[in-house]
Amino acid sequence: MTPAPALAALGLMDAAFSGFRAYAGRDARIRKHRAIARAALRGLAAGAVLLLAPAITAGGVLLIADDRARAYASLADGGIGYLVPLVVYAAVVLLSLAAYFVLPFRASTLAVVVGLGPLTLLRPLALGIACLGALVHDGGWTSLLVGAVAGVAVLCVEPLVHRRWYAEVLRPPSG
Amino acid sequence: MVSRLLECGDQRAARIVAALPTDGDGVLDPLAVDRLMISVHTELQRLREELRIDDRLVHVLGPLFAAIRATAGHGGPFRLVDIGSGLGYLVRRLAATRALGPDVELVGVDLDAALVGEAGRLARAEGLACGFVHGNAFDLPEAATVYVSTGVLHHFRGPALADFFRAQAASSALAFCHFDIAATRLAPIGAWVFHRARMRHPLGRHDGVASALRAHSDHTLLSAAEVPGIRPLLYEPRGMANPFCTTLRPVLGIRPHLEEPLRRALGRASRRLVGPEQLAGTAR
Ligand SMILES: C[S@@+](CC[C@H](N)C(=O)[O-])C[C@H]1O[C@@H](n2cnc3c(N)ncnc32)[C@H](O)[C@@H]1O
Repeated sequence: MTPAPALAALGLMDAAFSGFRAYAGRDARIRKHRAIARAALRGLAAGAVLLLAPAITAGGVLLIADDRARAYASLADGGIGYLVPLVVYAAVVLLSLAAYFVLPFRASTLAVVVGLGPLTLLRPLALGIACLGALVHDGGWTSLLVGAVAGVAVLCVEPLVHRRWYAEVLRPPSG
Repeated sequence: MVSRLLECGDQRAARIVAALPTDGDGVLDPLAVDRLMISVHTELQRLREELRIDDRLVHVLGPLFAAIRATAGHGGPFRLVDIGSGLGYLVRRLAATRALGPDVELVGVDLDAALVGEAGRLARAEGLACGFVHGNAFDLPEAATVYVSTGVLHHFRGPALADFFRAQAASSALAFCHFDIAATRLAPIGAWVFHRARMRHPLGRHDGVASALRAHSDHTLLSAAEVPGIRPLLYEPRGMANPFCTTLRPVLGIRPHLEEPLRRALGRASRRLVGPEQLAGTAR
């Protein structure tokens, strides 16, 4: 079973959240659902483009391999090793997010303080552990390479969207 | 200013100020400073939104206004004044959600002209029924029924804190309710994590942690709020609240006749409301 679709889905989901974070803190209006949705879509678009980088890297690895079947098998193994830590991370994030939206304000503060806030800071660490996972799950250096490129790509979504669309604080028309 | 910060031993703050744009004589560019203040406060608002600070406020202010209505003998209008309103998020949000009812007039006051201007612009852009005034909260022509603030108390040190409460007690206001960072051991670490994860400008990051370190203890707040004509109360004091769930909590000062109706309106939550006489028992 190839882990590629699951990895792509995870990457795109992360990109949508990155788009939201690139925008958050730049718009002081009260009602901003549409702006939030737009930011998530921008993140998604940027993520879709950036995630071509690991896809192309994987394609290149297969192209230059002597034994394509073996190269494919080790990429698939590495992919699974890469996926597992990220699934754990994503599950904790989604759980915190659900708690945040469902629970009353005191408990939702808890979900933010021990969950969402620190988890944002831990993203690079989660990706590092995923790279390690790729390596130990018989992925070899090729999986590590693809994983590292993917990691850099997802970490670039937020700064890229931020710089392109949200470098300035959004200001309402003067009235 | 840089040398003053260095004298105070705050090298980080000095570095941040030194990086701001200046004119030929080393004077800070006022426009750049205004823009920076607006952008840092916009980021701060994001933290408030995420931590649901305003739900916390409504949780206390709703019952407080219920108590005021029950004892006022007239149907209002009442007036809430947010001291140091910054970009006016609290007042604009209260206006948007009408959480306190249509008989409460909402006003934000701040000493910073740029923030007040931006708050007014934001309110107009969304058609919100609230007003913003540039100036000192205590020089307003009309007195408040209730004074509130968020994240302002830790800026007042020593006798200035008691003076701040005394000025409100001397006005015709019926109550004040000031939310500030709960001085728990976790606060500076939490502030560091959050400002690092959510704020971009070094000024906001630095100020967040500095503010948590400056937060007043329960005891300091209650003693400073103990001024003539006022019953001081603290909601969610340290011993009673989980520091992971309570980031900001208020010190209240109410006219004594409001205490009973306030406790009634709070219902079960009123056990979290303590006066100086109970604080000794709850403190750890
Ligand atoms: C840290 S900011 C908090 C802003 C806002 N409450 C928030 O949470 O985003 C403190 C603000 O209090 C204002 N301030 C302090 N004393 C004041 C007074 N007596 N009257 C009006 N504004 C005051 C300052 O100008 C500053 O903008």
